Amino acid sequence: MRWARVTQGAALGVALVVGGLRPAGAAETNFVEQFDTIYNSLTVERRGDLVELRARARGSEALESAVDLSDPLRLVIPYTRSLYGALFFQPQPKRVMMIGLGGAGFHRLFSAAYPDALLQTVELDPKVLELCETRMQFKPTANTPVAVQDGRMFVKRDRREWDWLILDAFRGGFVPPHLKTEEFYRECAARLSERGVFVSNLHATTELFYSDVKTIQAVFPQVVLFNTDGRGNVIAFAVKYRTPVITDPAKWPGAAALMVPAFQGRLDLAAVRKERIEIPVAQMGRAKVLSDDFAPVEFLDTLKSNNADGKK
Amino acid sequence: MTLFAFYVVVITLGILSMGFQLLASRLLNPHFGSSIIVWAWLISTFLAAFSLGSIVGGWISNLAPEPRRRGQLAGVVLAVAALALVALFGRDLLGRIEVAFDDVSTALLVSCVGIFFLPVTALSTFGPQCVQFLASRGTPPGKASGVVYGVSTLGNIVGVMLTAFALIPHFRVSTLLYLWLGVAVVSLAALLRLLRVSSAT
Repeated sequence: MRWARVTQGAALGVALVVGGLRPAGAAETNFVEQFDTIYNSLTVERRGDLVELRARARGSEALESAVDLSDPLRLVIPYTRSLYGALFFQPQPKRVMMIGLGGAGFHRLFSAAYPDALLQTVELDPKVLELCETRMQFKPTANTPVAVQDGRMFVKRDRREWDWLILDAFRGGFVPPHLKTEEFYRECAARLSERGVFVSNLHATTELFYSDVKTIQAVFPQVVLFNTDGRGNVIAFAVKYRTPVITDPAKWPGAAALMVPAFQGRLDLAAVRKERIEIPVAQMGRAKVLSDDFAPVEFLDTLKSNNADGKK
Repeated sequence: MTLFAFYVVVITLGILSMGFQLLASRLLNPHFGSSIIVWAWLISTFLAAFSLGSIVGGWISNLAPEPRRRGQLAGVVLAVAALALVALFGRDLLGRIEVAFDDVSTALLVSCVGIFFLPVTALSTFGPQCVQFLASRGTPPGKASGVVYGVSTLGNIVGVMLTAFALIPHFRVSTLLYLWLGVAVVSLAALLRLLRVSSAT
């Protein structure tokens, strides 16, 4: 059953709150809508040119995605900038797969920067795709197709290889356990091109983070972590080869060499480069590798980590 | 003492059947995801198994003593064998089914019916027989039915909560499947003995 409802009084509430902050007339386009989909409880809020997609969970709302309609290429959510750290490991992405659409915050800049590249997205919730198209002005094209399917099912059944394989799938703040296991990461590794990079958006605020990193390390010989400043997001980059070495930043291409015109003023790769952090080896001591047979993801995700640096 | 043992067994069977549903979901997820489609097939399969098991169990409980004993024994053997099949070959079977069928719903139908339907059906046959047990000891049939299904449902709740909050966070699913098998062997053997004593008296 899918249905949507405009929160009672919410539109008025936003008009009252935001209307005072925007020029006359802008408040007419502002809105707050809530949708209970088959997988999520979502809130879409427009304030001026900014449209946010939030997932309601655990008594609060997690900001999933946002787009600035006056500059759709702008990376509004900080971690989407960190995802471009993949350029340091595979600087020529021609075929990219992303599990999790959100509001397509990552997609627009990528398509502008690499117009000939294929960016295949897999999204489980059909309502997310609908909202992305109708509220956040994202139009899938031949180069940015979206498949409505479970991410793991897609990886198993679609045998194409990818230069970047990005895992950014959340359901109301939670990640489905079957997308966190060693077996799934092996399936992802099998779909990477020879120099392909696996990218995963991790939350560093709970004990799940240590199991995440340990599980990724169990599959991929080289793993590099980027910490999105102050947001609790850590982006893991992993490759299936041992050489050349990717863990030494001195051997990464320079930020200037990776710049393309679309990035100008929107993506500071030199700043992204500085987000690299060490693998938290000490804290990972007791963490367990997650497998299809043992994946207490929901349980670990409720245990606050002791990683003060990673806390929001 | 007999009644105490009886209620322990009824609760245990309730724990086994609904806890098994959570384990089944964990087995299915790597192959078919955790979408609402998976849950729809899984829940429907369990409800169908409860339904058929109750009908067959009711039929067995009204048989003459000797055929009834054979029916009870067949239920125990079937439940234990089916749980053993899941514990030993469940993952391999799911892997083969996943590859064999392109359509997810067809694959889920085959998986749920082929792997999970039989053990839950066999376990469910003992519900009506437990009612018969109490009725044969002088409890009015309506009251016996209410007590058995009430206690069994409490077991269902315990099974779900125990599995979700205590077992899955700390043990491998494969380990838990063997635990389920072991507990089923012990509890069904105890129930078989109780039912035989009851029909002999």
